[in-house]
Amino acid sequence: MEKINLGVIGLGFIGKVHLRNCLNLKSVRVVAAADSSKKALNYAKSFGVKQLFTDYHELLKIKNLDAVIISLPTHLHGECAISAMEEGKHVFLEKPLARNLEEGKEIVLAARRNSVKFVVGYPLRFIPEFVNLWKEMESGVLGDIQTAYAVNVAAGPFFYRAESATPRPVPEWWLNKDLAGGGVLMDLGSHMINLTRWFFGEIKEIKAYLGHRFNLDVEDHAICIASFEGGTTAIINVGWFSQEAKIGIELYGTVEHDSFLQGSQSRVATAIKLILGRTPKFFAPYLKELSYFIDCINCDSSPPVDDALKDLEIIDRAYRNWIDF
Amino acid sequence: MSLVGSVECKTRNVDSIKKAIWEAFRLIDYKLPKAEKIVIKPNMCYYWDWSTGQTTDPLFVAALIDLFREEISPDVKISIVESDASAMKCKYAFKYLGYEKLAKDCNVDLVNLSTVEAEKATVKVADEVFEFMVPKIIRDADLCVNVPKMKYMSFTKISAALKNIYGCNPYPKKFEYHSKLDKVIVALNKVMPFNLHVLDGLTVCGSKTLRLGIVMASQDPVAIDSVAAKIMGINPKSVVHLKLAEKEGLGKRSFVVKGANIDYFRKRFPEKGLSEKAITLGYRVACKLGLDKRLV
Repeated sequence: MEKINLGVIGLGFIGKVHLRNCLNLKSVRVVAAADSSKKALNYAKSFGVKQLFTDYHELLKIKNLDAVIISLPTHLHGECAISAMEEGKHVFLEKPLARNLEEGKEIVLAARRNSVKFVVGYPLRFIPEFVNLWKEMESGVLGDIQTAYAVNVAAGPFFYRAESATPRPVPEWWLNKDLAGGGVLMDLGSHMINLTRWFFGEIKEIKAYLGHRFNLDVEDHAICIASFEGGTTAIINVGWFSQEAKIGIELYGTVEHDSFLQGSQSRVATAIKLILGRTPKFFAPYLKELSYFIDCINCDSSPPVDDALKDLEIIDRAYRNWIDF
Repeated sequence: MSLVGSVECKTRNVDSIKKAIWEAFRLIDYKLPKAEKIVIKPNMCYYWDWSTGQTTDPLFVAALIDLFREEISPDVKISIVESDASAMKCKYAFKYLGYEKLAKDCNVDLVNLSTVEAEKATVKVADEVFEFMVPKIIRDADLCVNVPKMKYMSFTKISAALKNIYGCNPYPKKFEYHSKLDKVIVALNKVMPFNLHVLDGLTVCGSKTLRLGIVMASQDPVAIDSVAAKIMGINPKSVVHLKLAEKEGLGKRSFVVKGANIDYFRKRFPEKGLSEKAITLGYRVACKLGLDKRLV
């Protein structure tokens, strides 16, 4: 099988994770990278990436480039993804799809118009424990899931570098409503809405409480109550206020209950593995989602291009149906 | 020997904190001077708020402001100062950490030292000459009050009063000084000597976060840092910048603690375990070897 020629656009934290994961995929060749920061491009160079650009439009002109990974700030998703699709490149885009529904719809339309493979990165779907829990639920041993609790509380933009010793500068766009499209509900909420939709089907109704501990322009914590078409009611708890991460879901069925809750990964173990050039555990679901994207290209299978748009629709509804205490 | 006042404060409200600070002043026989302009420098190293023990509690600063208004003058002009850093911008920190609200409620100014008028100053530390910009607001203040936290820090072992003045350097790319941090901390304290150091130990960040409930005050930053080091289980003699600060005449490592017994707080302080010490050492070695560039 011929290798897929890949370009990585955006080399922030997640962009670097994707870049390093690509090096572990045998069917992929990273031929180019683009970032406005020369320091970030030097990072890509140190991993053998030859063609480096400060303007991603130049990267998109590479003729033998098959696909791109886009890990840019949310306000740049629309323009970059559509440009790539118009050049006939398959696109893997970091979540959330876009900062608003209009931009999201334009991206989905461009993917359809250009018949390219389009996947939005939702790594939680590739964590084995979530997959096993989903299978258990599907098997019926828990009975009918009446209620559920989904949580994703972490540091968000305020997280520490992998070695845990020094803080990381917060990219300003992350806290700007116009550029990010929202706060934690957009950032971590999109993960949990996607995850609960996978578990329980489409959401009928959603209401959200939006909290502002840090006096940000956007919400830094949110509690949503969602009712699903299948009859399940779930609480979705997301927050940027905690140094310790907790991601998981609890299922309360008519027969039994089960859950999977994951705490913070060891930053030290992550740092040691990165220094030694190994793959930290934290990278694994990101590697799997990338692998899924490459499989879609190789096997010409069709990922659901509008799945992330449904998440965005729900977030939009949650922002409009906020609960005031 | 320098005096350090130590008071236990179990309740987190303005009145209790104010009482504890006032008691700490009394213990070291500190009389508030006549002042028209006061500068307060809290610790706002990052966007983690007071509850993590990493930054100064705005309630603690509110108590100090109340005290100054009651004891000095209701019209005294008070400015809370901080400067931009490699990973922290004042315009966000003031807002996120609750200082914007505090400034509004208490009618004080918030000043980003990276954006105000400053004068060049040269200072010598251990035969090395440093040049810094000294903000005029600090130079012109009648009373400069340092309100640090007590924390571990991988490069300097401890971060307390002396290290907090590092944040008065208006130059934002502070990581550039990391290779000679000890000398730079001392140099900045020499060029911007603060009159009073009031340590917010209500919530502390050791190996974990804990409500320790200690308030300390001293006019000597070396002495108060030596006490902080002791509470944190670190021999002050092993802290390079304390030794250097004493040599440069900033204060004395020998101290007399008046008030609450520091052994009580030392026993409760969440000290670093061996594994955490090994991690810190490992990180410093990795930085020296340039291996940190492989991190994401």
